[in-house]
This record gives sequence, C-alpha cells and structure tokens, in this order.
Amino acid sequence: MRLEATDLRSGYGTVPVLHGVSLTVSSGEIVALVGRNGAGKTTLVKTVLGVLRSTGGVLRLDGVDITRMPPSRRARAGLRATFQERALFGALTVGDNLRLSGFGSESHDRVLDAFGPALSGRGSQRTGTLSGGEQKMLAAAIALATDASLLVMDEPTEGLQPSNVALLGDHIESARDAGRGVLLIEQHLELAKRLADRFIVLEKGEVVDSGPAADPDLAARVARRLLI
Amino acid sequence: MDALTLELLNGVSLFAILAIVALGLGIVFGLMGVINLAHGEFVMLGAYVAYVVHTVGLNHWLSVPLAAVVLFVLGVVIEVGLIRRIHRQPELTILATFGLSVCLRQIAELVFSKDFQSVPNPVPGATRAFGVLFPTYRYLLIAIAAVVVAATLLAFTRSRFGLVVRAIVADRDLAESAGIRTGMTNLCAFGVGAATAGIAGALVAPLGAVEPQAGLAYLPGAFLVVIVGGYNRLWGVAAGALVVAAVQTGVIHFYDAVWAQIASLALAVLVLQFRRPAPAGAVA
Repeated sequence: MRLEATDLRSGYGTVPVLHGVSLTVSSGEIVALVGRNGAGKTTLVKTVLGVLRSTGGVLRLDGVDITRMPPSRRARAGLRATFQERALFGALTVGDNLRLSGFGSESHDRVLDAFGPALSGRGSQRTGTLSGGEQKMLAAAIALATDASLLVMDEPTEGLQPSNVALLGDHIESARDAGRGVLLIEQHLELAKRLADRFIVLEKGEVVDSGPAADPDLAARVARRLLI
Repeated sequence: MDALTLELLNGVSLFAILAIVALGLGIVFGLMGVINLAHGEFVMLGAYVAYVVHTVGLNHWLSVPLAAVVLFVLGVVIEVGLIRRIHRQPELTILATFGLSVCLRQIAELVFSKDFQSVPNPVPGATRAFGVLFPTYRYLLIAIAAVVVAATLLAFTRSRFGLVVRAIVADRDLAESAGIRTGMTNLCAFGVGAATAGIAGALVAPLGAVEPQAGLAYLPGAFLVVIVGGYNRLWGVAAGALVVAAVQTGVIHFYDAVWAQIASLALAVLVLQFRRPAPAGAVA
C-alpha cells in the first residue's frame, strides 16, 4: 500500500496551515515526520485521515484519489491512526473501545497484553480513568493490532515511561517488518532515528528537508532544526 | 385516597405518552444535534396511520407496527433528502424542520381534509385496580409504551448499534477515523426516532381527535422532557418524562392545567440554569 500526498493544503477556517505538502509512505517503511510545535504535523495527520478537509492538492492511496473520501471509508481502505489527543473514547470501557475497532472478546487479552501486564484484565474499566500513558499504550496497541496496512501515529510515545517507549518502538518495527507502512510523528528524536527509514522535516506547513534516515548529514540537520 | 390513586394513574399514563413521544426527539437531538421541529407531525402521521387502518376495517393494534414502519421509511427519506445535507448546521436544521412541519400539515390537510377524525377505542371500558376504575386502553397504552421505551433503551445501550451511537455522540471525528459509518448510523437514528413518534401517534389516536394540527400539542411537552432529562443519555429522556409528568400531574391536582404547563416550563428553565455544558460531540 502506498500513501501519496501531492501539494496538500489545508487549515482551519480562513487560516491556512499546510502550504502544499508532498510526501509518500509505502508498505514496509517507517517515515518519521518531525518538526517543532506548530509546524503543522497534527494538521497533516488530520488532513490525511480526512477529519480535516483539504483545501487543495491530491491524496492517493494505492493510486486511488481519496481526497474527498470520508474518514470512515479511508479507515476501511486500510488507513488507521492514533491521534495525539482524544485517541480513545474516554467515556466507554476499554472493552468497548476494542469492540469498536472490530476486536471480538476472544482477542481482547491479546491486544491488552501487548505492553505487558499494565493493561491486562482492564477490559471493564472506563477508558477515561486510565492514566495518560496507559491510554497512549492502549491506543497504540489497538492501532497496531488492527489489520490496517498503513498506520499514522501522532506522538505515540508522549507520556510513556522509557521502558514502554522502547517496547512501542519494537512493536512499530514489527509492523514495518510485517510489510505495513508507518507515518510516525515523533518528538522523541532518538526513537525516530532508531526506527525511521526516511525523515521528513516539516516547518511552517512546508516540507523543508527530507531523505534517508541513514544519511548522517540529514540526521544532524534534523537535530539542529529541532533544537533551534 | 381513590382520587389520589386516580391522579397517580393519570400521571403514569401521561409519563408513558411523554416518554414515547420524547424518545425519538432525544435520539435525533442527542446523536445528530438536530432540533426536529417536525417531530410532532411524525406523531400526527402515526395517528393518521391508525385512522387509515380503522377506515379500511383492520384491527387497531395493527396500526402500531404499521405506523412504526411507515414513519421509519419516511424518516429515512427525510434524512437522505434533507437532514443529511445540513445536520452539522443547527440553525439550518431548525429552519428546515420547521418548513417540513408546515409541509407535512398541509399534505395531511390535502389528503385527509381539515376535519377532525376519530379512531374508536379498541378496548372500551374500564378496569378496576388499586381500588379505582381506570380506562383499560390507558393501561394497555402504559404497558406498550413501557415495552417500546425499554426496548429502545436496551437497543441503544446493549447492542453493537448502541455502542456505535455512544461512540459517535462522544466523538464523531474519532468514530469516523475508526471506520464507523456515521452517515449510516444517522440514517438509522433518524428513522428510529420517526418510528417511535409514529408508534406514539398510533397509540394516542383513540384518545383524541386525529387532525392535521394534532402534532403541535405534543412538541412542547417533548422538548421540555428532553431539556429536563438531558439529550446525551437516552435514559435521561425517560427520567425527564417521569419528572415532567410528576410535576404536571401534581400541579393539575392542586391547581389546573395552565399552571401545570407554566410549572413544567419553569422547571426546564431551572434545569438549564444548573446544567453543565454538554460534552464535546454531544451536539454535532
């Protein structure tokens, strides 16, 4: 599966945020999208998922134009996301969140055990009463356990303790090794460097740098841009 | 003592009617954020289904499921043809459903005339219970309304459809991103809302005149119930109906029907003063 954005533009009301972003994410690769706060990363995620309507440009999934496709059809076409905020239905139980993502009760334990014992046996707990880190783990566990071909993960490690950051990194690598594509929005630069096959740097709604993660010059430029 | 028992039974009867009329309004408002000013006309059309069933000589009880089916289909058509295009713009839905209510009343006038029609009581007579005589039909109405309201509440709380509805009410965008077809759920919800109004209309048809303006009498009460009970949880509609029915019955007992309406309105205003803002997504 290949996600392809060409000259994608969007914003909020009359305020443009993305000024023509072009990128691709293919099966079996992790693309790290980095940038400082306000660069437009979350706006890009929302636009790719269809929650925010694009004001220009084209979005294709496996060559099919999905620019005007509603979010539910994009999700059923294999595009799945974890949002930075409001990634789960807080008023529903953990089990209900799993059911909404298509998991039968027989598979709940498998999903909840993905991050060790932290979420085990918590199916009947109201999701909003989990800690921020636990909610992040649950959202990531659900997204990774679906059969989505392309994952968009917006700051999945925010609020996680270091051991779980490493564990989540392993799961994302496994997803890539299984042939899935991942667009990873990550502030945690060390993790992004460890996982990513390619880097895309976003600044003020535009792609200002990109290239293979193995390029030491690019890694240095990315670090500089994020530190400035 | 007998007078008090009779008042209590009248109160339960009023509760049953209010609950079943307000249920559909609560579903449509809570899930879609649509203030449906044509809901009373759905009740009126349900009553006309009962009238048609009576005029062709069929059993009155057939009109209850038939009204549900007819109004469900009509609700689906209205959702696709009108509501779907504007449901994220509350001010437009108010205008559009007001226009729809006028159209439905005019159509009813053209088809059935302005004349008052009547549907005979299918179960005339009274039953003695709790030491008083009370119309048997009203006992049946209470029982059927209880079954319909309980079944709807169960469907919206225990089924997969109910789970999807609660997810959409909580966060429409997140639900869409999880692959939930919110458009299809809206369609079903509007259809079910219209169907419950149709059932209410068929049930109340033998209690009063069937005429094009009949729905107007039910809309204010239903809105008061939804305001008092809250619109983001369906059991709140049932609780609201109970409170409004209790207030109205009590005030009628001590004063009169006009003061009962004033008391209900005052209660709604009071509730609005103390209610916390609705959670994000409760109103789309």
